[in-house]
Amino acid sequence: MRVVYRILAYVIAAEVALQAAFMAYAIAGLYIWVQDGGVLDSAVMESEDIPFDESVGFMLHGINGMMVVPFLALVLLIISFFAKIKGGIRFAVILLLWVALQIFLGLFGHEAAIFGLLHGLVAFAVYGTAFMAGFRAKKPATEPAVGNAPQ
Amino acid sequence: MRLSRRAKTLVAVAAAVAVIAPVAWFWQASLVPDAYSVADMGRHDHGGHAPGGDASTVPVDELTAPDDREADVRLTLTAAQERVTLASGRDFDGYTLNGSSPGPEIRAVQGQLVEVVLENASVPDGVTLHWHGVDVPGAMDGAAGVTQDAVGVGESFTYRFVADQAGTFWYHSHQVSHEQVLGGLLGPLVITPAAGTGADVDALALAHLYGGRRTVNGRDGEDRVAAEAGDTVRVRVVNTDFGVMPVWVDGAPFRLAAVDGTDLHGPPEIEGKGVEVAAGGRGDLVFVMPESGAVRVNLSASAALLVGEGSVEASAPPDDVLDLLHYGSPAPLGFDPASADREFAFGIGRRPGFLDGKPGFWWTVNGAMAPEVPMFTVAYGDVVRMRITNDSGEAHPMHLHGHHAVVLARDGVAATGSPWWVDSLEVRDGETFEIAFVADNPGIWMDHCHNLPHAAEGLVAHLNYEGVGTPFLIGGPHGNHPE
Ligand SMILES: [Cu+2]
Repeated sequence: MRVVYRILAYVIAAEVALQAAFMAYAIAGLYIWVQDGGVLDSAVMESEDIPFDESVGFMLHGINGMMVVPFLALVLLIISFFAKIKGGIRFAVILLLWVALQIFLGLFGHEAAIFGLLHGLVAFAVYGTAFMAGFRAKKPATEPAVGNAPQ
Repeated sequence: MRLSRRAKTLVAVAAAVAVIAPVAWFWQASLVPDAYSVADMGRHDHGGHAPGGDASTVPVDELTAPDDREADVRLTLTAAQERVTLASGRDFDGYTLNGSSPGPEIRAVQGQLVEVVLENASVPDGVTLHWHGVDVPGAMDGAAGVTQDAVGVGESFTYRFVADQAGTFWYHSHQVSHEQVLGGLLGPLVITPAAGTGADVDALALAHLYGGRRTVNGRDGEDRVAAEAGDTVRVRVVNTDFGVMPVWVDGAPFRLAAVDGTDLHGPPEIEGKGVEVAAGGRGDLVFVMPESGAVRVNLSASAALLVGEGSVEASAPPDDVLDLLHYGSPAPLGFDPASADREFAFGIGRRPGFLDGKPGFWWTVNGAMAPEVPMFTVAYGDVVRMRITNDSGEAHPMHLHGHHAVVLARDGVAATGSPWWVDSLEVRDGETFEIAFVADNPGIWMDHCHNLPHAAEGLVAHLNYEGVGTPFLIGGPHGNHPE
């Protein structure tokens, strides 16, 4: 369980990096598309058609961020109950809260750009928490094994 | 105190159950059956009335145009799913009607009876036609699973309605509409007054994005129509896309003569301002051709209808946008919104949850997610007021079938201009609209967001007349999915 916890925590950290990469890829594609005469307006943004190939990055960012990452964070929490890692549950709970906050900030970014700014910063909190959770899970818990404990 | 290994495991299991159980419960509670009737769906809202006694129920498919009247305009539209090639040579996977997208322009004179036979040659999901903005009889509305079954491959359906309203309209499929409309299963419908519109040139500017690129009347980027200096020109702008479209004119001042197929009263000339056409909405622009002989009607920054000869340089979109709340001069509404029989709230929000088992952030209507959406119930002849509020973080072009509503106020500011009748109303995040209409067209009507993917994500309610039922099912053997 400890190993599963560690791997999952690192996967979540990697997911954050992937999220940043998806956005950078999509924005680069958007820039090139506009340079080539593409016009971005409300109707294009709302259209489910893909005006340029890289816009798949926006879609992946949304699916990954709103479904995959919260799912993984939830699984991490459940595993933490069984993994017997000191502080493991606490880190999983904090991570889940960061992820929830991050999703809200991502959506509120549609209303006020300042939330987008915070969304970028909170990404580091998600990354840091996930990484620390994984890193800390390396050592076994210091409490004696249950089998040796006086009954 | 130390817990035994067994006790620790039990605590861990209990904690896991405490996390998983509510999620699992919400998930299973969100699942909708394979087939259900919109009549049984959601929360019945009687707008402050006691539910009426259902003495007899008329099925919606019996609410038709007179059978004994000969059709004045008659045509067959054959729908196909195929590779579509635009005039520019660009091609994409989409849908056609009679081999083209957009489908043929249907023209009728006010009062004529229009009869359209829809045939499905090859669209596997089935098709329907909805007459967007035309307040057709209940059975003719084309909403799959609500007013009819989707027309399967090899089948047909005949639409008949009297073209009572003069104006600019469009038709589109209302089966899996977020895909079929996007893919081009649509076309223009123009109804002119018997005495004519007074315009020398009557041109259409139907905008649609194919593959993310805007077209005008099916042409990439630009279309052109002939006109001489001094001609009065009426350009009928149709926004078939899912987002609001700014429209402005270079080369001549213009008047916004009509919105959503209804003439405005006393519209003054506009210069240096743009107008916004909501998703699904229409705007008729009227101007006189200048001596230069060229006018450019910009449809956002990516497309234009060129009128006359030569070219006018495209200007940047104007910052100043016409506010229809105060445009034109007042005129009688024909009813008194102050003495409303029913009052409804249509509050749009958004929250996390499961939509038919799918996790995500979904739209809510009055706090509830689909299928727990309101069924607004009215009686024939009622004056109905509705307050639309949007706190969802995004804009929604709200479309009420079968009726035109008049805008009374926005954010508490009363309308002072021409009566502003809408069927497709752009409601931005944070805005509140007060609208009113007369319940004069019995049926079961969808009332939904015309950003059609939003409708598919649950932003749909219904308006039901007491004594009207539907024999059709969402889902079921015909796979009816109107959104
Ligand atoms: Cu919407």
